[in-house]
Amino acid sequence: MIQLNNIEKYYANKGVKSYILRHVTTTIKQGEFVSIMGPSGAGKSTLLNIIGMLEEPTYGTYEFLGEDVTTLNERKRIELYRNHIGFVFQAYHLIDEMTVYENIEAPLLYKKIGSSERASRIADLLDRFNIVAKKDLFPNQLSGGQQQLVGIARALAAQPSIILADEPTGNLQSAQADEIMNLFKKLNQEDGITIIQVTHSEKNATYGNRILHIADGVVKDDVKVIV
Amino acid sequence: MFRLNLKIALRNLWRNRGITAINVGGLAIALAAFILVTMYFTYETSFDKSNPNYKNVYVVGVSYPEFKTNYIAAPFAKAIKQTYPEVESVGLIKEGSFELTIKNGKNTLFTKNILAVDYNAAKILNIQPENGLTKPSGEVERLNYLSKESMQTLFPDKKDNKPEMVGYGASNSGITVVVAGSIRSNEHSNFVFDGISLAAELGEHDNYDMNDYSIFLKLKPNVNVANLEKKITDLYRYELLKNNTSKKSTAELKAISTFLDPLSNLHLRPKAGNDMPYKTLIALSVLGFLILVIACINFTNLSIAQAANRAKEVGVKKVMGAYRSQLTLQFLTEIFIQCFVATILALILAELVLPYFNNLFQVGLSIWQVDSDLIWQLPLILSLITLIAGIYPAMVLSGFKPALVLKGNFSTSKQNSWLRNGLLVFQFCIAVVFIIGLLIINSQLKYMRSQDVGFNSSQVVYIKNLTLFNNPVKFGSVSFNPVRDRLLKIPGIKSATVASFIPGGQNGINSYEVNASKANIDFVNVDFDYFETLDIKLKEGRFFLNTFKTDTINSAIINESAVAKYSIKNPVGQTIRGCGIDYKIVGVIKDFKTQGFESIVQPTIYTIKDPCGSYKTQILLKIEENKMADALAALKAQWPQINPKDGEDFRYEFLDELYGKLFKKQEQLQSVFFAAALLTIFIAILGLFAFAKYITNGRIKEIAVRKILGASDVQIFKLINSSFFIMVLIANVISWPIAYILTKKWLETFAYRIDLPAMPFVSSALITILLTVITVSIQAKKAVKANPVDALKYE
Ligand SMILES: Nc1ncnc2c1ncn2[C@@H]1O[C@H](COP(=O)(O)OP(=O)(O)OP(=O)(O)O)[C@@H](O)[C@H]1O
Ligand SMILES: [Mg+2]
Repeated sequence: MIQLNNIEKYYANKGVKSYILRHVTTTIKQGEFVSIMGPSGAGKSTLLNIIGMLEEPTYGTYEFLGEDVTTLNERKRIELYRNHIGFVFQAYHLIDEMTVYENIEAPLLYKKIGSSERASRIADLLDRFNIVAKKDLFPNQLSGGQQQLVGIARALAAQPSIILADEPTGNLQSAQADEIMNLFKKLNQEDGITIIQVTHSEKNATYGNRILHIADGVVKDDVKVIV
Repeated sequence: MFRLNLKIALRNLWRNRGITAINVGGLAIALAAFILVTMYFTYETSFDKSNPNYKNVYVVGVSYPEFKTNYIAAPFAKAIKQTYPEVESVGLIKEGSFELTIKNGKNTLFTKNILAVDYNAAKILNIQPENGLTKPSGEVERLNYLSKESMQTLFPDKKDNKPEMVGYGASNSGITVVVAGSIRSNEHSNFVFDGISLAAELGEHDNYDMNDYSIFLKLKPNVNVANLEKKITDLYRYELLKNNTSKKSTAELKAISTFLDPLSNLHLRPKAGNDMPYKTLIALSVLGFLILVIACINFTNLSIAQAANRAKEVGVKKVMGAYRSQLTLQFLTEIFIQCFVATILALILAELVLPYFNNLFQVGLSIWQVDSDLIWQLPLILSLITLIAGIYPAMVLSGFKPALVLKGNFSTSKQNSWLRNGLLVFQFCIAVVFIIGLLIINSQLKYMRSQDVGFNSSQVVYIKNLTLFNNPVKFGSVSFNPVRDRLLKIPGIKSATVASFIPGGQNGINSYEVNASKANIDFVNVDFDYFETLDIKLKEGRFFLNTFKTDTINSAIINESAVAKYSIKNPVGQTIRGCGIDYKIVGVIKDFKTQGFESIVQPTIYTIKDPCGSYKTQILLKIEENKMADALAALKAQWPQINPKDGEDFRYEFLDELYGKLFKKQEQLQSVFFAAALLTIFIAILGLFAFAKYITNGRIKEIAVRKILGASDVQIFKLINSSFFIMVLIANVISWPIAYILTKKWLETFAYRIDLPAMPFVSSALITILLTVITVSIQAKKAVKANPVDALKYE
């Protein structure tokens, strides 16, 4: 579903090019659960952002669902966000002015989904993540782990085919982190959702079935996780 | 979707309710000012607009080398009508030249202006009596109409609209007139009157020397006005030549031309007159608009300042699938809500202020009228301010790149600081210009109040009177001497005189000749004691004196300006010729400011005898201050004997009050400017207050860190103030030249004015800097006083 060919990314500073990514070529298939690992500053977030079309590569081609998306206009890109991609962030990035319910509802509104369908999907998600009682609270009234649950629920609301998560458990304690990781695993195995996550934790990486090791912008290792 | 956005908007506004209140309140105040100005503008620019002929009516004016006027000879009306087919109809009007008292038994009515109109003029100018416009015919020479209120005064019990008999003048005058009905005088028109005297034809016996009428033309549609103007000038010169009673030379005739002035110009910028009212109106509109802009800038600035908070929302919404246009719309909606609330508040405010405004401008505006233009203007204003205040922040906010925002360390402060600071500087520029303007207007008005005007109008009583005291005798005028003798017997009256014009009013203009140099100069027909009554200073020679027999025959006194105009050396004893008389100059007086400070003192001649003169009816008395009340009471009691023609109708005004009216316009302007300056400063400071609050809130963490690193409170105050301080300084430097040019232009409208002072420029700098430092420091204090640990705890 994702085909990266010779992706490069550099920032030119006073004529000096500093490379963040070099010759990244890889394929990610539907239903995979990929963890991107590597030292700080290696370019993990940059790679994920490129996959999420938040940043453009300076060189190389990127095909998403068989379509070249290297240079895509804003409207088309947003269509992909609406229908295929869900984001989960390390800092949760819930909208502070919206309640839990409204945060989960927002992407459905942009997707123009009817109100009854909306209500049933949200009820379903609240139920599944065990946060029905919190639905009228604002993000600052929740714990970090709860906020991340809402963040994932929001990413799932639009029923995406892929979830991109940048250190989703980076701000959480290990017990909460395990809960989130189990959830990801379940989504991957039961719902067939493709998941790409950036993580520092070896343990988290083992929840997936493939690990990309990155150092200095280069893919050093691409290993299958054997359960 | 809309409901959710609305909810978020309200939650957001509530969370920042302090700033929101300041924003909305400031905008409401500015809008109220703007609404008032808009209403006033609409009112002032729509005089006579209800006239169905509005677009096709022109007045025929005459342009002489020295001046322009709308007074013209009546016969010319016929000549125009007969010559030019593109003129559909021609009408004549003549303003009442003196005050008329009208009586019914004990009920007395004082009228200032009975307008004489011919039938055509009434039709052209849409002057409609209540029972319909009819052409006087047969026996009836004139049809007279009085306003409803006047009829009520004369006939308190009258219910119908039937004709009534009234008496004109004093009860012993024996003149009776039939009033045919009532008429409503439209206050929103150039033609306001106490009554109408309607004739089939007017000025039939006038000749081309009697410029007493105004001619109004109704043109057929699509007439080339410039072309017609030229043709009418030719016709006028031709007619003057044909009827050349005043023996004008061809060169003199060539210098005379006519012009056509549209009805729409008449109220604000008549060609025969000045366009000050128009300029004042424009200035006022600009002020109103600037105040609104300043309030809108507050919005823009605070919205951009809040951008960092909203950035995350934008980023997240975008990756959830929101189009940029949807986000733009959302932000515009938020600003629209605030503007809407501000508009409602503004209407309430405007309603509260309206009585004062009406009083100041002598108008009767009201907001709640069904046919008011506000009904379409308000929604327009609302959309406009929403766009002005909202479009930029909406574009900026919706344009955030999600990748940057979501990385976490996003900061907007750098990005848009030039714009934010620019807008802030702009606001302060306007405020500084206003402060300087205000201070300079103040100094000029103070100068005008304290300056010697060259005569003394205090304790001078001006009595309105119908008896003519002309010399030579005109329409049964009488000598003033017996009247003066009786007046001087009343204790307290120090001197008495009569003249054709009083200081503060317009003088007559006529042609006079000295040593073969001819010029049109002002003339005033006076009597003995004129200069003494007004305390005018003599430069050389003498005043008129009873003991000189020739003074009532051919003596003249001229002012310094006249001496300069004709460049006469040793004027006393020389001859000045006018109206067929060789006057001998017996004295020269120092110039005195009859026309206030705006126009330069005109060259003027004062004579007792003048065959071409105007009605000498304006009696002036100098009365001792402590005997004023007694003297006035005695005057009122004795008036029927002193002046039988006016009989029991003794009316007077104090000359200093009349003269003071010349300054009224300037004082009006000052009040407006004062209000405008205060408003701009207030709104700008409100904006600054909110802005500083926002900025310091954003820097609380930085301040905490600095304090931990050992910065003192003073250092932190300095740190926060410095950028604002620099901006105010820049604003001052930018505004000085602007204020300099504007105030210089304004001062140039005065013939007598102060030199441009430097003090206001310094003061404005001090005022703005002080206000800024205080405002910012109030905000900074909170941040400085906060415990650094609290600030750093949350991350
Ligand atoms: N706008 C930019 N200009 C220049 N260099 C940048 C820019 N954005 C990121 N970088 C550099 O790109 C490199 C990779 O950044 P990236 O955020 O991808 O690292 P990361 O692997 O996610 O690290 P971490 O584990 O700390 O999150 C870093 O060295 C960073 O300094
Ligand atoms: Mg990273």
